Amino acid sequence: MFKPGVTIWYSVKSLKDTIHFYKELLGFELVFHDADSGMAMVNTTTKDCIIGFSEAEEVIPSTSSTVFEVYDIETSRRSLEQKGVTFIGETETVPDMAKLATFVDPDGHSLMLSEELSPL
Amino acid sequence: MPILVSLEKCRGRFTPIQHHLQISPGRLSDNLKRMTESGLLRHLSPYERRHPALPEYVLTEKGRLFREAALMLQAAELELGYGRLSAKAWNMPVLLALHYKHEHFQDIRQALQQVTPSMLSARLGNLHELGAVDKQLIAQPRPSFLYHLQQPAKRPIHRLADNLDSIV
Repeated sequence: MFKPGVTIWYSVKSLKDTIHFYKELLGFELVFHDADSGMAMVNTTTKDCIIGFSEAEEVIPSTSSTVFEVYDIETSRRSLEQKGVTFIGETETVPDMAKLATFVDPDGHSLMLSEELSPL
Repeated sequence: MPILVSLEKCRGRFTPIQHHLQISPGRLSDNLKRMTESGLLRHLSPYERRHPALPEYVLTEKGRLFREAALMLQAAELELGYGRLSAKAWNMPVLLALHYKHEHFQDIRQALQQVTPSMLSARLGNLHELGAVDKQLIAQPRPSFLYHLQQPAKRPIHRLADNLDSIV
C-alpha cells in the first residue's frame, strides 16, 4: 500500500534561517526551494526521506521528534554544537535500545540524534 | 481589496500573499487581523491546519461576497482608466453617489454619511482634476457647485452600480 520513503513537513517562520540550519549546519541537500511560495524541501541522508518546510505567520514548535540516526552520538553532538546548534539537556540512554540527544531548529521544532545500541 | 482578490490565488498563505502584493509583513499582518475581526476571513490556528502547505486564512461567506464586489470595483477602475481609485478611501463611493444623482455637496455627504467635509471636498477635487467629475457653478438659490459624472465615467460606474446591486 505505501510507497517507500517518508516526508515530514514543518511550518517555519523564516525559510532563509531554516535552509541555513538544515543545509549548512546539518549538511542536508536542498532539493526544492520556491521563495515566492515560501516553501522548501531537503533530502536527508536517507533515500526518499524528505523534510519539507512552509513559511507561516504563526508557528507552534513541534514536540514530536524527527530522529536522525548517527554512528557516534557524542562526536556528532560535539560537531553540531561547535556549529552553533542548540541541544536540550544531556544525552540520554534508553537501555539496550539507543542513546538520544535532543536539539532544536530555528523555530524550536524538536529534532533528535540517535545512536543505536542494539539492533531492533 | 488586493488581499481579498489575491487570497485564494495565493492559497491563503501569508508568505505568497506578501510576495504577491509586495507589502511589509507587519502591514499585511495588521490588514489580515482587521479583516478577520470584520468577519471577512477566518484565521486557521496552527492546530487547525492539517499540513504546513495548507491555507492560514480562508474567506468567509461574507468575505466571498466582498471579494465579488472587489472584483467588480477592479473591473470598473480598469474601464475608467484613472489608475487604482479604490486605493484612496471614498473615491469609488463618491462616484457611485454621483451616479445615484446626489449632485449637491451636502447631498453627497448625506448619502455617504461617514465622510468628513474636508475629505469629500478633497476627493471631489481630485476626481474633477482626473476628468471623472464635472462641477458646475450655479447661482440660484445661492452660489454653489453641482457635481456630475463626466460622460466617459458614466458607463463604467453605471455598470458597477448594476453589478453591485446584483450581489446585495
